[in-house]
Amino acid sequence: MKNDLIERYIYAVTRRMDHRIRNDVQQELYSLVDDMLAERCGGLAPSEKDIRVVLTELGTPQELYARYSDDGEKCLIGQPYYGTWKLVTKIVLAAVGIGVTVSALLESFAGTQTWYESVLSWLAMLWSGGMQGIGVVTILFAVFSRKGVQLGEPYNLDNLPPVPKKRQQISRGDCIFAIAFCAVITVLLLAAPQYLIGYWGPDKVIALFDTQVLNRCWYLILIFAVADITRSTVRLLEGQYNRKTLIVTLAANAVAAAAAALWLTMPNLINGEFVIHVQEAMAGEEAFIRNIFMNFDRFLLVVILLALILDTVEAAVKTLKK
Amino acid sequence: MNADEIVSGLVLELRRGTLILLVLSQLREPMYGYNLVKKLNDRDIPMDANTLYPLMRRLEGQGLLKSQWETGEGKPRKYYQITPEGQEVLEKTREYWNSFAKNVNAMLEGDI
Repeated sequence: MKNDLIERYIYAVTRRMDHRIRNDVQQELYSLVDDMLAERCGGLAPSEKDIRVVLTELGTPQELYARYSDDGEKCLIGQPYYGTWKLVTKIVLAAVGIGVTVSALLESFAGTQTWYESVLSWLAMLWSGGMQGIGVVTILFAVFSRKGVQLGEPYNLDNLPPVPKKRQQISRGDCIFAIAFCAVITVLLLAAPQYLIGYWGPDKVIALFDTQVLNRCWYLILIFAVADITRSTVRLLEGQYNRKTLIVTLAANAVAAAAAALWLTMPNLINGEFVIHVQEAMAGEEAFIRNIFMNFDRFLLVVILLALILDTVEAAVKTLKK
Repeated sequence: MNADEIVSGLVLELRRGTLILLVLSQLREPMYGYNLVKKLNDRDIPMDANTLYPLMRRLEGQGLLKSQWETGEGKPRKYYQITPEGQEVLEKTREYWNSFAKNVNAMLEGDI
């Protein structure tokens, strides 16, 4: 029986189906609806109400499509990753919220905007930062889930891993703090670099970075952040130093070091006004101290590289030491 | 959650577990979907068409059922029938079911 409502219902069920099965399912559903109407109405012609009752009985087109779909039970991030995805997403969102709020407060103290402009800009940054945070974490976990990255060794009674010694255990708190800290700094660098203050005096406030130069290397900051969050997330998942955390640490720290090196050697990254201020204000200081502030980008690079090397060495020692 | 809700959930789980066994057992002879829905309903085994039709298609995809459109007389209908692979799966599952149901019944009756 052809009827506009039936046609539209069956179209709604089948329109997203693979073309190889679409026609067959359509015919099958027409046949089914016909049978159900015949059963309901006997020999009488079905009314519009009968058709509505039968189609309602079949459920919504989305439900019926889901039942036909082989992907019904597949999902972007399945178990056992979902729980950790939720945790990391919460941490990142909280960190983004803190970072954005701090930058919004700094902006309101600077007094360059009216209160409603500040609130709107805070909400906009909260939204875009939150979306970016969720996006990065979700992509990361979708890759874990799709690639079937093992969390721990494959289960086998004979090779159950030993309970890690205290020094091999990784504190969840440390991982959560590392993820949150990285997310806050990334938000500040990407969304409000002008409020990363180099000098805050009674007469003037000088930003540490040249925001235009910093904005040009946003992708390097993002790569650094993704590498850092990946390392901390894998540690959070594993809960102990082992071969996998060591390999991920080596890879993530290498990527982070490369990104930091490219980012912090960009010409004119440090705000020119800040450099001039340092030259004037620290004229009487030792050259070594003055040089640190005048070449703050290189100093920061050395600190980051040292931290990455120390982290790698710590991971290697804790993994390999019996 | 009250007792009725818990019972309803448990019954649903039990029914879901036996669905494929029932469908395979009834398709030794060719049958179209709605006919099978009615047959099961007549036996007080309610099964919705929106569950059965996708299920039969999935079983066909697994090679346990085969299908054929019949357009000879009356309206066109798709008939499903069990394949030799489906038969083998059915027999093995049936054997397990018989032994499992016997033991469960004995435990429920307090014989064990």
